[in-house]
Amino acid sequence: MATHGEITESLQAFHKSYQENERLKLMNKDWNRTVLVIANDLESAHTLALKEGEMSFQEGRQGDPDLTVISDSDTLADMFFGDITPIEPYLNGTLKIIGSEDDITRLDFITLLIWGE
Amino acid sequence: MQLKRVLTLRTVVATSAGLTLATSSFVAAAQVAGFMAGDSAWLSILVSGVLCLLAAACFSELNSILPSAAGIRLYLGKAFGDKVALTFSILYMLVVMGVVGAESFVLAKIFNYTIPQVAPVIWITVMLAIVTLLNIRGIKLAGRFQDIVTYGVIVSVILLSLWGLKQVNFHLVAPLAVGGASNFIQAVAVGIFLFVGFEWVTPLAEEVTDSRIITRGMFIAVGIVCIVYALFTAAMTANVARDVFIHSPIPQVLFAQKVLGKVGLVWILLICLSCSFGTFNAGLLSVSRFFYATAREHALPPVFSRISMRFMTPWVSIIAVFVVGYAFSLVILYTGRYLVLVDMAAAAESIIYVLSAAALLVLRKKMADAPRSFKVPFGPVIPVLTMLIFAVLAVMAIATDPVIALWMVAGLVVIGLYVVYVVPRIKEKYKVKRSSRRDGRPIL
Repeated sequence: MATHGEITESLQAFHKSYQENERLKLMNKDWNRTVLVIANDLESAHTLALKEGEMSFQEGRQGDPDLTVISDSDTLADMFFGDITPIEPYLNGTLKIIGSEDDITRLDFITLLIWGE
Repeated sequence: MQLKRVLTLRTVVATSAGLTLATSSFVAAAQVAGFMAGDSAWLSILVSGVLCLLAAACFSELNSILPSAAGIRLYLGKAFGDKVALTFSILYMLVVMGVVGAESFVLAKIFNYTIPQVAPVIWITVMLAIVTLLNIRGIKLAGRFQDIVTYGVIVSVILLSLWGLKQVNFHLVAPLAVGGASNFIQAVAVGIFLFVGFEWVTPLAEEVTDSRIITRGMFIAVGIVCIVYALFTAAMTANVARDVFIHSPIPQVLFAQKVLGKVGLVWILLICLSCSFGTFNAGLLSVSRFFYATAREHALPPVFSRISMRFMTPWVSIIAVFVVGYAFSLVILYTGRYLVLVDMAAAAESIIYVLSAAALLVLRKKMADAPRSFKVPFGPVIPVLTMLIFAVLAVMAIATDPVIALWMVAGLVVIGLYVVYVVPRIKEKYKVKRSSRRDGRPIL
């Protein structure tokens, strides 16, 4: 089981890579969303907010989410570090995402563009 | 969990019904009528609809156990393992592309009937190219407008049918004369095509606050579609000669023109365009996203996960669907065997229902403690009945033409070999590539 700190680090790595990618920021200029990331095997919540292409990241729950990403701590850390693609746990039911299908797909696109195949 | 944007029952019903309403469905309805004696086609459509309700009940429970946009892929994977799930998902997606091909063929024939100067092959090319470009650019109809279009089509077909029935002062003469058990079962089997896609609404599970809305939506949609096609078939058989509608790829046009002349022709053209746009869009969107997701889980070459940086769409997968759908259309156009795809889709849909009912029985044991908002009543009775009935219907749909059996078996063998021998190699290649990149991750 990963720790809250490890999930935080994975999200920091994800956030940093996003912010360094100018093209990605441009692509998401009109995609303003709040993404809540919750671990279901320990007390851990993080919020990613996208506004006008910029991503901000905070620990805990902030505001009403458009997307809620729920999984075990290991999967969350692996996913945001880019060790696994979100599709794998999603298709075997380990990862649950609450939100619109288009938003779920967009989040996967972002992950793909940050971490590659 | 509070979502900012949630779908209403109205949209769920419109989505489920809209996915089943296709231009090629009218051809299937004519084929159903062709199997039946007298004016009893409505009966086989009603039975097909009721049987689809059994499958809808199974999907509802599966959706309440595993509410996910991954839908059938996840249900089958959890129940039977990934290889089975992947094999049947690919087969299903190929059939969906076949339906896109059949749909474009029928619509091209309608355009060609209206404007004979332009050859069907040009219509097919232009239509598929337009829908592909719209998909690559990520252009979609707004939810509310899509709802209006779907309900507009439903009301239009009902009004046109009632007008047609009034024209001939219709009254049922032999509503129960089915013309033999074998014909009746075959009509019901092909009738399943009329409902193909109603369960595609389950991927919306993550967009509703209460998964029971999906259940209610599917049931209402199947009921509405049942009424629409039963009325249409009754009106068509009463107005158009049997020999004519059975052998025509455009029976709906012949019917509309007979009852309302030029107005009817324009009206049915608009109905068919609306239906086909929905079918093309749903087909292209779902299959291209499936290709993309399959490439992302390393079961297809990575090229299929390429996305357009400008439009944020999986352009390679969309073009792949266009190519396969276009190839299907051309094959149908030059062989004229459009009914093969209709029957094949009916058979594939029945097989998916069999597998889903079986998956439900397995998951009831494997995930006995999983919370669920809906449970099919009477224990295993309905899932077992669903399995048995749809197994028979799949066989009957295949039996309409030996070519269907040949294609389906060949398809399953090729896909099965791909899943067993090629997929593990792609996954292995990815693992090696990924392990060489792990160095960046901090060791905690």
